Amino acid sequence: MAVVVKKVELTWVDRTYVIPVLQGMAITMKHFLKQILTRSRKRFTVQYPEWKREVAPGYRGLHELKRFEDGSIKCVACFMCAEACPARCITIEADAFGDLNKTQGFEEKRPAVFRIDMLRCIYCGMCEEACPKDAIWLRGDYEQASYDRLSMQFGKWDLMNTYADKDGKARITQDPTPSIPRNPTSL
Amino acid sequence: MEFLARLLHLQPQTFWMIAKVIIVFAGPLTLAALLTWVERRGSAMIQDRIGPNRALLFGRWRLLGLPQLAADGIKFFLKEDLVTADANKALFWLAPFLAFVPAMMGFAVIPFGRSLVQGGQTYHMSLLEPGNGMGMLYPLAIGSVAVYGILTAAWSSNNKWSILGGMRASAQMVSYELAMSLAVVAIFLRTGGYDPHEIIAHQAVLWNVIPQFFGFLVFFVCMFAETNRLPFDFAEGESEIVAGFHTEYGSMKFALLQLSEYVHIVTAAALIVTLYFGGWQVPFVAAPSVTLSIAAFVLKLVFFCWVFIWIRWTVPRFRFDQLMFMGWKVMLPLSLGNLMVQAFLMYRRG
Ligand code: SF4
Ligand code: SF4
Repeated sequence: MAVVVKKVELTWVDRTYVIPVLQGMAITMKHFLKQILTRSRKRFTVQYPEWKREVAPGYRGLHELKRFEDGSIKCVACFMCAEACPARCITIEADAFGDLNKTQGFEEKRPAVFRIDMLRCIYCGMCEEACPKDAIWLRGDYEQASYDRLSMQFGKWDLMNTYADKDGKARITQDPTPSIPRNPTSL
Repeated sequence: MEFLARLLHLQPQTFWMIAKVIIVFAGPLTLAALLTWVERRGSAMIQDRIGPNRALLFGRWRLLGLPQLAADGIKFFLKEDLVTADANKALFWLAPFLAFVPAMMGFAVIPFGRSLVQGGQTYHMSLLEPGNGMGMLYPLAIGSVAVYGILTAAWSSNNKWSILGGMRASAQMVSYELAMSLAVVAIFLRTGGYDPHEIIAHQAVLWNVIPQFFGFLVFFVCMFAETNRLPFDFAEGESEIVAGFHTEYGSMKFALLQLSEYVHIVTAAALIVTLYFGGWQVPFVAAPSVTLSIAAFVLKLVFFCWVFIWIRWTVPRFRFDQLMFMGWKVMLPLSLGNLMVQAFLMYRRG
């Protein structure tokens, strides 16, 4: 449907143009002075590479594969996320979890390969929703760029260490060997 | 001055002439280069943005984005210089100079300070001495010549959008030139002469902007048309004619076209200051010293340059028919009426 634009009746003051233009200049000058007098931290524009925006808690950014306190991965390679993923960008290869450890009493599987093609991911969060173990989360990182396609393939260790230092967790590149044998009473 | 002249083994007059040529050409050019920065930062501030500040000097100093000027300069020189296959090559190369040179030349007649008397010799602070017979007619004539640069640029690129832009520029020029000249003629009537030195001397008590307010209004608006600045920059137009007359231009040639616009602003501001705001006169100071008079002139000049930028970021571009309407049906009668009233007052006074 066509929009009817109402014609504004101009008063004679508006028709002279001079006074409205002066009013407009006052407005732009106000903005100018306001910008000049505001400290640059407080300005509307975020000076991006130096200052980053805080994203909302529910933001869906880069994935993290969660781990237990002892470092072992929470993911049980159930393929739910891979199935739910509309972009089909998750590749999982399962591996038998031989040496069971303290926290992880029941699991028999873990991913040997867990790869997300970040170039295809649409950050929909479906994997997060689908995961029965809360093992995959989408968190705040929104700066993802690289010079080649290969480095946008995030593997298991990339995803486990995504927020490692920031959250005060150590970086790991190996599945931890169990220190205490499985406690049968916990079953 | 005599000391400097002796240092270079020159007659003081010769030395002063050379110095004036350098001042008159380098001054507006520097100011124009700075204006490109002021425009970008100023527009950013007006629009609640930050503006260019990424270029660093030696990777360290930001200086509020001023290194951007150097970066732009280097970029303009190093860019590939494209000339489209069907362009008229000679004219295509000539056009930026046709736009740039008249813009530079207009400033020659403007007195930028009080005349200096030293060693029994009067040094005038303008490139063309008073009583040269051209007076204020010269910058007006030169200013209109600048449109040839735009027309040539438009025509030689052999691009229909460019030609539309050039056509609009020339039509605009025609509709504004008359009103502008008539406004200036009223000033000539008031002064009884058309030499800028006389005009400025005549404004010692009262600046022309008060008795000649309508004339000032007309002249000021026409200056926007003359400089091709935003409310009336019909030679350009991103939304309707791609970019206008400089669509096909790149690298240094584009820079020249762009820079000539800024030099035009400086000249236009100088004209406004000279004709309506007392030139180098300082309010409430009967006989300012030479330094003070130059400072006053430069201050006024910079202020009006800023007004040009300020207005550009306030008022959107007019429609073409609105411009024609304004030019012929508002500006011309207003200017003519102003002239008649002025003439009548002079007749009454006898
Ligand atoms: S966020 Fe969406 S697209 Fe990305 S991996 Fe998860 S399910 Fe797939
Ligand atoms: S991340 Fe979650 S859904 Fe995906 S395979 Fe691991 S446990 Fe299953």
